[in-house]
Amino acid sequence: MDEQTTEINRSRQPLTVTLREFELTDVDDYFVWASDDRVSPWWRWDTFTNKEDVLTFMEETVLPHPWMRAICLDGRPVGAISVTRRTAEHQCRAELGYVIASQYWGRGITTEAVKLVLGTIFGDMEGLERLEALVLVQNVGSQKVLEKAGFTKEGILKKYLIHKGKISDMVMYSFIPSEN
Amino acid sequence: MNHDEKNQNPKTPTITLRKFTLSDVDAFMSWAADPRVTRFQRRDPYSDPADALAYITTHILPHPWYRAICIDNTPVGSISVKPAPGEDRHRASIGYRLAYDYWGKGIATEALKLTIKAAFEELDHLERLEAIADVDNPASQRVLEKAGFKEEGILRKYVRLKGETRDMVMFSFLLSDAV
Repeated sequence: MDEQTTEINRSRQPLTVTLREFELTDVDDYFVWASDDRVSPWWRWDTFTNKEDVLTFMEETVLPHPWMRAICLDGRPVGAISVTRRTAEHQCRAELGYVIASQYWGRGITTEAVKLVLGTIFGDMEGLERLEALVLVQNVGSQKVLEKAGFTKEGILKKYLIHKGKISDMVMYSFIPSEN
Repeated sequence: MNHDEKNQNPKTPTITLRKFTLSDVDAFMSWAADPRVTRFQRRDPYSDPADALAYITTHILPHPWYRAICIDNTPVGSISVKPAPGEDRHRASIGYRLAYDYWGKGIATEALKLTIKAAFEELDHLERLEAIADVDNPASQRVLEKAGFKEEGILRKYVRLKGETRDMVMFSFLLSDAV
């Protein structure tokens, strides 16, 4: 199992953020953010209401995913982060996605998780040269995470994605190891 | 397709768009076999018309929206609109290619204008047309701008092209821009 660690000192309260692969036994922790009404508005999926559905989602989507990790705080999953190639023809690019339980927002945990991914993904995924992320224009929190992690804002793609039934403008960010 | 000549650059010949047929294979080779045209395309130039025929049959004829750019009903290029995958049916991307001898006459710009109008009329739910052009292809960037597309940004190391990773300029034309 892969583990990367970093320690953050924040008001004399050290936090250890690590990444590891998910297991089905993480379902209770996964349910925490998957059922959180503060989290799901930022995502295309609807809030989960029961653990059975989360278990199914973990079996069908999370565990088979080519690159997805639990974001752990002091060893316990508090979110998820994934890197996904969306096209077969352009192996040079992949999309970053992440979610974290709302009680952990604003503590720099997601930024640390993104930095851990940046340290490993270009070695893990052969041919990857571009890690990109699309963020809703109104999701200022997520934009700050990417900027602090060193991503470059490339532009706003208007009416790019349908989010919760509404056609939405997205900010495109990217990280290019040779340039960023 | 009818075309309003008042809107056209006086130097541009009258162009029309129509569907391809198998008998267009020779005309198709006039751009598809030319390395100057395929320079910014993923595929290499065709050398065998049989391969071109196979491409017309398997890719062009079943395509959701693929048209020949014609002068006097003879194809001099092609233009296609491809809906985005999955849930994002409101979005489609445009690609076009023109035989080298017809470059620099405003033909691609005109074909784009006709396509924009037709795509928003014919494709349900379409709200965003997009196109990407290689950073080293300023001619194509100018064509898109002249057709009314707006540059949104440069996507670095975005696509693989003939063994290289390329930076691309992203352009869009929104339904709300079309009024």
